[in-house]
Amino acid sequence: MNNLVFGKYIPIDSLMHKLDPRAKLIGLFLMIAAVFVPKSWWVFLVIALVLTVALLFAKIGIKMIVQSFKPMIMMMIFLLVINSLTVKTGDVMFMIGGFAVYKDAVFNTLFVVVRLLLMISITTLLTATTNPLDLTLGIEWLLKPLEAVHFPAHEVAMMVSIALRFIPTIIEETMRIMNAQKSRGVDFENGRLSEKISAILSLIVPLFSVAFERAYELADAMEARGYVPGVKRTRYHVLKFSFRDFLFIFICVLILAFSIASRFYL
Amino acid sequence: MPIKFKALSYIYNKDMPYAHKALDHIDLDIREGAITAVIGETGSGKSTLVEHLNALLLPSEGSLEVLDYEIKAGEKQKFLKPLRKDVGLVFQFSEYQLFEETVIKDVAFGPLNFGYAPQEALQRAADALKMVGIKEDHFEVSPLELSGGQKRRVAIAGIIACDPKIIVLDEPTAGLDPKGSKEIIDLFISLNKTQGKTLIIVSHDNEMVYNYCDDTVVLSKGKLVYHGPTDELFADKEKLKEFNMLEPQIVSFRNELIERGFTLSRQARTLEQIAQEIAKQVKR
Repeated sequence: MNNLVFGKYIPIDSLMHKLDPRAKLIGLFLMIAAVFVPKSWWVFLVIALVLTVALLFAKIGIKMIVQSFKPMIMMMIFLLVINSLTVKTGDVMFMIGGFAVYKDAVFNTLFVVVRLLLMISITTLLTATTNPLDLTLGIEWLLKPLEAVHFPAHEVAMMVSIALRFIPTIIEETMRIMNAQKSRGVDFENGRLSEKISAILSLIVPLFSVAFERAYELADAMEARGYVPGVKRTRYHVLKFSFRDFLFIFICVLILAFSIASRFYL
Repeated sequence: MPIKFKALSYIYNKDMPYAHKALDHIDLDIREGAITAVIGETGSGKSTLVEHLNALLLPSEGSLEVLDYEIKAGEKQKFLKPLRKDVGLVFQFSEYQLFEETVIKDVAFGPLNFGYAPQEALQRAADALKMVGIKEDHFEVSPLELSGGQKRRVAIAGIIACDPKIIVLDEPTAGLDPKGSKEIIDLFISLNKTQGKTLIIVSHDNEMVYNYCDDTVVLSKGKLVYHGPTDELFADKEKLKEFNMLEPQIVSFRNELIERGFTLSRQARTLEQIAQEIAKQVKR
């Protein structure tokens, strides 16, 4: 459970952490677009360099980014196999038991893999440096224009932020119940299928009852403090753009422009 | 065989930017057959310490001996089941671990996992339930229908039914009313006195610790700062101040009596004992 890196917030203080979540969200979209446009390798290299600098500013360390790649390994192998079976252009690179693997197949795969890795790094950078609650505030702000067509932007953001807020709580409860059941001799890792089912049951049933209990408590607490859905509310935490946020978005725009330009002029 | 912590450290989220050393080189021998309290402020590492006792957590550095088992940092454990049978852990708010359809089935769940035959497991469950004060007409009820206090008793019975040699209690009475708390504590004390079970109690309740526990372990920020007889710790004003702890009421009372001219020993830990010592002096 603790090995989940992708999407985990790292509560430290850094320049990246201080940026406005809206600026980071906009930056994320710009950068992902910038990753999907180029057709030449060296543009990726430039983007990777910029990312490395951003990582240094975020103080989260390369190790964590590398760990977030781990779940992707299977997908990359799968991609390579599919590409090797379908792409038959370019020179033959090597033979596996009478089956030819072509150069284009390998390079196509690498291309997609590099794009995916860059994308994951960018997303990890966002989620690692942005408190989930700030992130939902940012999403709410981005969804605001949709309120014109009666999209419940605030309610959606509230639901998302409650869900995010309770992930660590539920994980904590899960760990506690798991520990309690392990102490009663449950083995969550080994055992026959019937034993595994009973092990999972001993976790799920208490977890559900805890989750419902929490939900009722939260509903009561919100009502007691006068929460009415759909009513206009003021905020305790008001987001403010500052100079560095504009600078950050400007840099992202520059990178996107550079990557688009690379397709036309180089 | 006592419980021996040897230079044991535990680090949460090792290799991450926010790694946190929860236990720092703990060297500690816990006496067998005694009642030992583990106290310390929130975040001092109490729960982390006791979760090592049945290998829910494995040491990052150092080692630990419990009964005949040895747990070393970086080694895979082969004897988890027998260890967990012998060391029973009752968690904070243990009522949340109930899940079976009926009370008796839930209590028998542990014994079944540890290899007791179904008939014997049910017998043990019934005995344990009677011990914690759950009446027979509640055996076939769903545990989720019980009150909070009763749920806690059922959860505790679930551990007692496994017949552990060492019982570890993490804040066993948190959230219970005073009468319920006393009943639960008395039950465990009698298990210690009659069956010789080693008890390790994590607690915030200094009064309880002073009244019942032979030895006390004090943790502060992951370090062991005191281990010794409970009465010695609570008689030492300097130490209490250093550890930011309040004197138990009975100690304050004893001190005031001493100020007013009575000679009272450290062993006088209850009203009765104080009264007896005074009676002796008055007779003379």
